[in-house]
Amino acid sequence: MSNRRSRQSSSATRISDDQMIDLVSKLRQFLPEIRERRRSDKVSASTVLQETCNYIRKLHREVDNLSDRLSLLLDSVDEDSQEAAVIRNLLM
Amino acid sequence: MNHQHHFVPDFETDDDYVNANTNPSSSNLARKPIIGEQEEDGDLMELLWHNGQVVLHNQRPNAKKQPPPPPPSSSSAPPPALDHNLFIQEDEMSSWLHYPLRDDDDFCSDLFLPAERQTSNQVVTAARPPVPSTVRPPEASSMRPPAPLPSSVRPPVRNFMNFSRLRGDFTGRGGESGPSVSKSTVRESTQVSATPARESDLTRRTDGIGSRGTVDLASRSAVDGGGGAYTVGHNRKGKAVVTTEPRNENPAGASSSLASKSEIEPFNETTIVDERKRKEREAIDETEEEAKQGRGSTSTKRSRAAEVHNLSERKRRDRINERMKALQELIPRCNKSDKASMLDEAIEYMKSLQLQIQMMSMGCGMMPMMYTGMQQYMPHMAMGMGMGMEMGMNRPPPPPPPPPFMPFPNMLASQRPLPPQPRMGGYPAVQASDPSRVYGSNQQFVPNSNQAPYSGYMDPYQQFRSLHPSQPPQFQNQAASYPSSSRVSSTKESEDQGNQTTS
Repeated sequence: MSNRRSRQSSSATRISDDQMIDLVSKLRQFLPEIRERRRSDKVSASTVLQETCNYIRKLHREVDNLSDRLSLLLDSVDEDSQEAAVIRNLLM
Repeated sequence: MNHQHHFVPDFETDDDYVNANTNPSSSNLARKPIIGEQEEDGDLMELLWHNGQVVLHNQRPNAKKQPPPPPPSSSSAPPPALDHNLFIQEDEMSSWLHYPLRDDDDFCSDLFLPAERQTSNQVVTAARPPVPSTVRPPEASSMRPPAPLPSSVRPPVRNFMNFSRLRGDFTGRGGESGPSVSKSTVRESTQVSATPARESDLTRRTDGIGSRGTVDLASRSAVDGGGGAYTVGHNRKGKAVVTTEPRNENPAGASSSLASKSEIEPFNETTIVDERKRKEREAIDETEEEAKQGRGSTSTKRSRAAEVHNLSERKRRDRINERMKALQELIPRCNKSDKASMLDEAIEYMKSLQLQIQMMSMGCGMMPMMYTGMQQYMPHMAMGMGMGMEMGMNRPPPPPPPPPFMPFPNMLASQRPLPPQPRMGGYPAVQASDPSRVYGSNQQFVPNSNQAPYSGYMDPYQQFRSLHPSQPPQFQNQAASYPSSSRVSSTKESEDQGNQTTS
């Protein structure tokens, strides 16, 4: 069955085992939860994907948070100063 | 109208609508016209959305329809009553309404909570063209089986957004309304596990997107991915706004129904879609089993085990697909239909996000220190762009000839017009060393960022590397390009230009 599926993996809706392995290994570096899981070799793809989504959302939140802080800083700094330029760069 | 209102007690001789309260049958559902249009007998004139218009239709089968005469008799009354009720294709609606809505009792009564609209939708859904029998059983399990439905002929009903979401449109075929709504339905099913924000996205998209073809999983994934990425990832900051807006934007009727539906959806959407999937699988399984039974019992056992495995495998695949779609929606500008490339892009995006966060947090932490460090080093950085990092890392800060401040805003401005570089294109080979250096330097600096002024020197270098017009570093540019898409920085742009002109 897995053979059949890997044969079908060329379609967009199928993901091959190699792809999955690749994904899991790449995402492991980002996901501490998965890294620290005791049986790290048995992490399912759906779990990895779920963790990735959560992580990205977390990163988004953090970016938003930091942007807010940077905007506050920007307000507190002279408009033409170099710091302002740096902050704008960061906020871009 | 040829409704068989036989069972309807006749106390409502005064039609005249409005007083739904007077009707005993009004106890079922106190339907109020959503848009405040006429309520016929006050009984259950439900306002339905049909192709953007409002359709009045009597909900309850028992409800007596016509104003003047007692129900069973009038065939003449209904049509006129209908005529001014139905704003739309009267041919379909009226013909549908003419049919006895008999067993809508079971049909409607179960309907989920916010009874009114859903039940009306249910009724309308019932009117859809003969639904494949395979569809009905699974749906029946979650909802009361509209058993008599096939018996009553109903013309296709279009675009009843509300009900079709709940019901028939998972079948997806035949209904024009089905596609648009079922799409949202289907999408919601996939995102049941996702944040509530998803539902709003779906709502929004339902409005925005016209009817597609039939709903099928593959196309669903493609469309959802594309649409989702486009709308969701578009402005992360404004996501909260986006999510709430659709609910407010919708016309009152739709919004209330949608809101009410959204309560139901989490429970039912997955079940419905899952049932649909299961039905498909089961259909396939049944055929397989039948074939195997012909071969003998032993092979049947093995084949059954294989089927069980198939089922579990399919479920696993479905779960993975759901997650993939959710992930795809999180990634801005992800137009990849191929899973592998999408995952690669997800990884790149994550890296860039991490990098950006590092930079921003360092910038935040270092703000107080920038005053001291910046004036010396910035001009130098303006000069030695590409080498910024390396120079900062490997050499002591060179003596700062103070070039004017001009170059800096120029670079800031120049970065914007830069088209989003092919992040994964030719870059990796060219800058294979750089990213690693960037990462290495990041990791070095992060712990030190708050300690020494020297680290403050490093950080601006990191930033300005990204500004180098000729050689935008891959990751830095990624970090910059991603936020530029997500952040509405119009004010900053104006400031920047202001800065440019003034300085």
